[in-house]
Order: sequence, then C-alpha cells, then structure tokens
Amino acid sequence: MSDHAPPPSAPPRPAGESSSAAVNTGGGQPGAAAGQAQIPAPPKKVKVFVDGVEVEADARDNLIEAARRIGVAIPYFCYHPRLSIAAQCRICLVETSDAPGRLVPGCQVRVKEGLKIITTSPAVKDNQRGSMEFHLVNHPVDCAICDQSGECKLQDYYMEYDHQPSRIGVIKLAKPKREIFGPQVVYDAERCIMCTRCVRFMDEIAKEPQLAVVDRGTYSLISTFPGQPLDSKYSGNTVDICPVGALLNRDFRFQSRVWFVNKSPTICTGCSNGCNVYVESRGNVVYRLLPRRNEEVNQVWMCDEGRLSYHATNEKRVQWARTGRGDNAASVGPRIAVERAAEILRPLAGQGSVGIALSAQCTNEEATAAFQIGKQLRASRYFFGGQPAGDSDDFLIRADKNPNTRGVQLVAEAFGVKLEDASGIDGVKALVAMRTDGLPAEKLAAMEVFIAIAQNEDAAAMEADVTLPCESVYEQDGTLINWYGRLQRTWDSLPAAVGDAAPGWSWAKRLLDGLGGVGPTTAADAFRTLAELSPHLAGFSFDGLPDDGIVIEALLPAQWPARAPRPLPGAHSVRGPQTTPPGMKVGDEASGGSR
Amino acid sequence: MTERSNAPAQDTDPLSLDAEMPSALMTVNLGPSHPAMHGTVRMTVTLDGETIVHVDPEIGFLHRGFSKSSENSTWHQVLPYTDRLNYVSPILNNTGYIMGVEKLIGLKPTERAEYLRVLGGEICRICDHLTCIGAIGLELGAFTVFLYAMEARELFWDRIAELCGARVTVSWTRIGGVATDMPPGWDQKLRDILPRVIELTNEIDTLLTRNRIFVDRTRGIGVISGDEAIDWGFTGPCLRACGVNYDVRKAHPYSVYDRMDFEIPLGTRGDTYDRYVLRLEEIRQSHRIILQCLEQMPPGPIIIDDWRYALPPKKEVFGSIEGVMAHFKLIMEGIQVPAGEVYVYTEGANGELGFHIVSNGTGKPYAIQLRGPGLPILSAMPRLIQGHAVADLIPVFDSINMIGGEVEQ
Repeated sequence: MSDHAPPPSAPPRPAGESSSAAVNTGGGQPGAAAGQAQIPAPPKKVKVFVDGVEVEADARDNLIEAARRIGVAIPYFCYHPRLSIAAQCRICLVETSDAPGRLVPGCQVRVKEGLKIITTSPAVKDNQRGSMEFHLVNHPVDCAICDQSGECKLQDYYMEYDHQPSRIGVIKLAKPKREIFGPQVVYDAERCIMCTRCVRFMDEIAKEPQLAVVDRGTYSLISTFPGQPLDSKYSGNTVDICPVGALLNRDFRFQSRVWFVNKSPTICTGCSNGCNVYVESRGNVVYRLLPRRNEEVNQVWMCDEGRLSYHATNEKRVQWARTGRGDNAASVGPRIAVERAAEILRPLAGQGSVGIALSAQCTNEEATAAFQIGKQLRASRYFFGGQPAGDSDDFLIRADKNPNTRGVQLVAEAFGVKLEDASGIDGVKALVAMRTDGLPAEKLAAMEVFIAIAQNEDAAAMEADVTLPCESVYEQDGTLINWYGRLQRTWDSLPAAVGDAAPGWSWAKRLLDGLGGVGPTTAADAFRTLAELSPHLAGFSFDGLPDDGIVIEALLPAQWPARAPRPLPGAHSVRGPQTTPPGMKVGDEASGGSR
Repeated sequence: MTERSNAPAQDTDPLSLDAEMPSALMTVNLGPSHPAMHGTVRMTVTLDGETIVHVDPEIGFLHRGFSKSSENSTWHQVLPYTDRLNYVSPILNNTGYIMGVEKLIGLKPTERAEYLRVLGGEICRICDHLTCIGAIGLELGAFTVFLYAMEARELFWDRIAELCGARVTVSWTRIGGVATDMPPGWDQKLRDILPRVIELTNEIDTLLTRNRIFVDRTRGIGVISGDEAIDWGFTGPCLRACGVNYDVRKAHPYSVYDRMDFEIPLGTRGDTYDRYVLRLEEIRQSHRIILQCLEQMPPGPIIIDDWRYALPPKKEVFGSIEGVMAHFKLIMEGIQVPAGEVYVYTEGANGELGFHIVSNGTGKPYAIQLRGPGLPILSAMPRLIQGHAVADLIPVFDSINMIGGEVEQ
C-alpha cells in the first residue's frame, strides 16, 4: 500500500482547505479524497511504458492519466480526475508488469518507475467487452428519448469496445424513472450504472453530502435523503459528470438534441466570479451553459444560478430599435432611431445637465464607448448600476451578481470619472444609459430625455425616448474583469442575432457619429482606446489576450474566500494549466473526459 | 471574322465553277439544351463551311460539387451521390466507391455480396452500352434501334427495381455487402429475360452493323490510334476500340472477376464504328458473366455481421439497447474509418472508374476525388472531330458516351 500514500514531496495544501477528508462514500484511497487537482503537481517524473511506448509520467498519475499522455485511451466511467477513486465500474482494468496475468484498475493503481502497462492484451479487451455487456444488462432501450444521446459514454464505449449483441436474455429490472432530485436535477434509476461520481462530487467538491447509494446489488440506486432534496447550489455539476443519462438537467431536458447545438466558449455573466463556460446555442437561442476548464477561475465546475443566467439572453429581449415611451413607442428601424436620439441630444451637449448611466453588466468595450459619449456631451454626472447583490459562498459564488464591476470601475478610472450609485439618480435632465440594469424606473419617468441602450424589456427600458437593442455578453466580442482582476475574453458565440440587436459600443459609435464625435469601429478598437488610457492595461492587445484570460496583478485582492480557485503564482498568464489534456476532447474536461 | 480558312483550296481559279466558295469561319453553339448533347454539355463549334475546324466542349452544367458534398456527409451518405455520377450504370459506381471504403477499413464483404455486386454491375454495363448504341442509332436516323435498345434496358431496369427498390438511383451497395438480396424467384426471372435481351441485341446487330448508311457515317470517322488514346488518358471501350488490351477486370481482377470466364473484345481502327461494334460484343460478354454469377453464387448473408460497419437488424434496434446504440452511432456519427488514403479503380461501363479517398479517422471522408472515365475522353473531342463534317459531330460524340453526371461531378 505504500504506493498509495501521498509522496513525501507533496507540498502542503493551500491555506483554507480542510485536510480532513469529507465523508468518502466512494471507497477511495487515502490522500486523494480532497481533490487531487488542487495540489500542484510535484516535479517528480517517472518513466513508464504504455503498450511498449515510453512515457514520462507524473509520479502522481494513475495508469489512466499516464496512458492519456500519449493519447492511449483507457475507458472509464467512475473515475474522474477531480474526485476520489471508487474503482467501481471495472472497465478500466489493464495488465501491468507488477501483476502479470492479472487485471488491475487503471484508475486506482499509480505509476512507478519502469512499470509496463498493457492495454491491448486479449484479457483486457475481453474484460472491456464483458464490462460493457454487464453494464447494459438492465439498461433500458432509451436512446431515442434520452437527452444524453450523442454525448453518452455508454454509446461511445459500446461502439468502441463491445459492438456485439448481448448474450444475456433476462427481463430488465424496472426502477424509478424521472425521480425529481431537486430544482435542477431529475434522476432515472434505470439508466444509472452506479458509478457514484455524483455521490462523490456532493461529498468532496460541493461539500454537501446530499446523495447516497441505497439498496444492494442489482437493486441499488442513487437517492436523496428523506425530506432533503438535492438543493445544493452546485447540483447541476452532477449532471455534467454523469457519464450516462441518469442525471439530467431539468432546465435543458427535452429542449434540444445535443448534436443540434453549437458549442462556443464564453464567460458566465451570473456573478463576478467570471466562470469560464461553453454556451450551447442554435440560431439566436441559447440552450444551456456548460463549465469550461480554467484552473484559476472555476476549475471545471459552475453554480446552478450561473447555469440559468443564459435566460436573459433568450427572454424578454428588446428586439427592435424604437422611439417613444410606453404606449407611444414605435419601431422605426436602427437608422431613424439613432438619428432621433442624436437630434434630441445635440442641443443638450455642454449644458451640464446630461448624465451617463452604466451597468456592471457592460463589457469593458461598451463602458469605454459610453464614456466617449459622456465626453462628447460633456456629461456632468456618471451613474453606476447593476444587478442587486445576492448570496455568496467560499467557493465559486460571489455576492456581486455582475460580471464586470471591476472592469467598469477600471474604465471609469481610466477616463478620470467619478461614478455615483445609480439608485440615486438626480440632478440631470437627460440621461444616456449603456444597459439599464439597476436603474430606478420611477425617476426615469420624470427625466426630460432618456436614451437607453438596453438588452431586456425592463421597467427602465419602457421609459426611454429612444431604445436601442443591445446584444448580450454571449453575443458579442468583448472583455470582462472578474472579482479578483482577471481580464477575460468573450466571443460572438451565437450564430444569429436577435432582431436589430448590436453590441452596446456599436450603438454608441452610431450615436457619436450623429453627435459629431468619434466612436469605436470594432471591439478591438474600443479596447485599444481603453488600453491607451489605463495604466493597468498598458501593452495588452485585444486579439493578443489568451483564451483563458490574464491577471491584472494590481487588482488582486488581499482576502480570498477559503476555497475560491486563485491564480497560480507566476503562471497566471500561461496557457499551460488550462489546456485540454492530450487524449481528451475539447469540451470534455468538465465531465472528466467522460462525455 | 477576318481569319480565312486554311483548308487547301481545291481549285485556284476563282472563276471556275468548282472553286471553293471563300468564306469566313463561323462559330456555332451546339447545346447545352440540345437533344443530342446527352447530359447537358455545350459545344462551341468553329466551322469552315461544313468542315469543323475546332470544337470547344464546355462542361459544368451538371456540376453538383460531388467532392465537397462528400466531405460533409458520413461514409454511407456519400453513396447516393455516387448513383448520380454515371446514372446509367449506378451499381458500378456504388461498388467502386464502397470498395474504396472497404479497402481503407481492411474489410472483406461476404462472398454472396461479391457475386451480387458483379451481377448487378454487369447488368448495369449492358444497360449503359445499350443506351449508347441506341442513341447512336437514334441520332443517325435508326429509330427502331433505339426502341429495341430501350426495350432491353427496360427489362433489366424492371429487374433492378425488384432487386434494389429503385430503377436508377439505387444506392444498393453497403460497406461490407449489399442492401438487399435477390427476391424469391428473381434469378429465374432474370434467366427468362436474358434470351430476349440477346435477341434484341442481335436485331440491333443485323440492323446496323452491315447497314450501308450506318457504316458510311461511322467508319473512318473520329479515328485515334492506340498510343495517342493512351496519351489522352482513354480507358474502357474507347481505348479497346483502338486495339489496346486494357480492361481492369482482366488486368487487375477485383471482386470475383477472376472466377469468371469472359473475353475482352478489341477493335482495330479506333473509329466510331469500332467503338459501336465493341460495345455490342461487350454486351454478349457481360451476358456470359451474368449467367456464371447466377450459377456460382453461394447462399449466405449479403452483408457482414459486424455492428461497427453494418446496421443491426431492426429487431435488435427496436428491442435491445445494444442494437439501438449501434444504430444511433452509425447513423449520427458514421462508420469510423481508420485514417489513410487509398485509390481504388474498377472497370466502369465507359472505362476506369477511380476513387481516391482520404480518411482522417472519423465518420466522414476527409476528401474524395473521382477519376471518371469520361473527362479524358471528352477532352480529346476536338482532336477526334477536327476536319470532319459538322454532321459527324453527333455520332462521334455519341460513341465516346460522355456522361454528364460523372464528367462534371
């Protein structure tokens, strides 16, 4: 067992992380339970041979990870790189030189110097086929109605390792189907292969042991506890790591087949943590958000609230440019709307009665363009709003529910502008709003002139003399700065636009044209303007930003929530830790490569 | 036009009654919408009086983006595109493509499937030749020949409809086999119609082969030597009409052709007449192959039993998780073909039909290029027709049997 103890060279755990392992229902090994990935890899390397090919593996690698380094796939269901080891599914069994003629679990056995791993022997292949056959004994014929179809590991492995009819002719066991586990998750016991990933995730990552295995043998299934639903704020991750269609997201269920959606990287806008996500969409409709790997922001997880934040992109959108308030509103087309807005604003320039309102939902580029309007109109006051603060925890959820508070503050600083709280708007007769979150509608009603660049139909947007439809963050190129000062890119991730919607900076540019000013022609142009003004962004270029963002060290906070992922010292601008490991498909990192 | 004819003047005295009438060159369009321009091809013909100075065939009216479409389709979804290459002999195209995919995988179809492919292919070869011969006859005024040829072709196409479920766009082969077996009693039906087909072929033979008008219109017209034909890239009947003995079925036997007893007819002159006679004889040879196939064909499965490549039986798809998963993966993601690059060549009805297929190890082809037999032969059209009368253009064009779908892809 000495192989399984943590190597003596392992560095101490990061401060704040409990070293006492949580309840380990998966039967994992000591030393791995509290999340291997959080422990920086020690430099020690060992040489092993995978099917005769020499591999330089990390001393902490198990056989699966060692083989993955040269793209040799050892199949697995229950293993997840970030969870303790269960060795439950038995499909990862391989032969090693340590135990010739015997099969050992590739997930549980660690590498050691000179170890020979054999993944292609008849015994290994026979076991893989046999495992698949047994996993499918009680599996229902559900592919046609199952949301997991197309990203199901049972399907993938069946074609890879089995591809034969079953020899087992028993009547399939009937178990609970569609059992509601909680607000996000629904469970189908018939599809479950009892890998216990979800149980281990709730124990070890979410730290809320809300799931357990009940009953025995063939009859065992996953269950919540009586009177206690799966209501953790991280419950959605159990769906991601479920290798089959047993746990499904209630929000996404039956909404789309997975092969119809377009997967594209972006940043979650649910709070200021700035979790890296994939947005999956078809046309101009977003179907779901899935976590994207970034060790320094969200590892491979995200919270349930963030998962639902895409609804603001689908629902209650301002679609068409319009003029007139309330009942007098009329869609007039973008050109006339902008002309009308410029016509109203032009006489007010320099009168000292114009205010600019910004939301912390703006990208840096939108904020920059808003301040450019302010300069052009010689605005007297600047107001700053956003979504109201919410709950927080010590892991991924921040109280500030806006993705770019730090960014807008940085832009304001660059323009030398003082921001005032948007809830107390007064002292101006005219207001130009870049996004309307957090603006008090009752005060806007009394405003003589109100021009809004708005994403959603909220009370504030109804009060605008001219309303210009703004694209959501998922729909536009831009940058955001998260709570600890990480500058991250967003991309135009949706194939189609909603109505006339355009990025906020683009409306600002058209307004500036009408006002005789100069605005940004692209997001990169806006960023360049900002980078010239802000000392924090000196030397950064929009197109040169790494996909996983870059840390502005001056913004780093002194206090960190206990378990919040943080930049690795000296490595935060390096692509290294964020890349998809060899042998794993891009987009598969969150599900442990088992999607 | 100021350019004068460079044809030698027959009489230099301009006042003589026999003097050639001085004329400027004239450019005439034949097609693309012309009954004799099979498929849709346009010939820009430069004439000096009745004499053809130059022909410029313009293709592309039937271009469908075969190669590019294939890159966005799974391996089996490419199959219907191959029907539409040479739509007169679709099974030969199906077989050529599927053999390429099987070579990439390293897969051998079942023996019965091999025989079925050869059987279907030879039926298609006869149909193709009948169409060509019928068209030559029709366009030289022998309408009866066309009707006889169509009668024979219809007999076959009815059998093909019974065998494949479609007359023309059959999409009949599968990776590892074929889609459908012979229906009960089908082989007897085929044996029953074969004598009638041969009878009709013999009728055509007696009508045309020693017909004075036909011989005068075709013999010595559109001549090309064997060496020159090889230089142009000729294959198939047009090459063999020049006396060059090259038939892929004999030179590089594939499938079960090595078990068949048949001969390769050869021409001597390489003219339109030889191309016609040669096709007539090839019909008789294909007839021999068909009879041998029917005799030799073993019972057994028509497709391999490997769910990585062949769809599971419907009973399994609807009734077992294994079947539904295999079906799902094969349809949604396609057969996983190992990375590699192959060139597979078979004897199409008009010559060597080659598929150059590149796989990057996924469910869709990375690239597919077609070596259709028609393009090199069509490109020699200006060479074949130069100096002949404008009326000779149609029989020469008929005899090379250019198929728009395959030339223009």
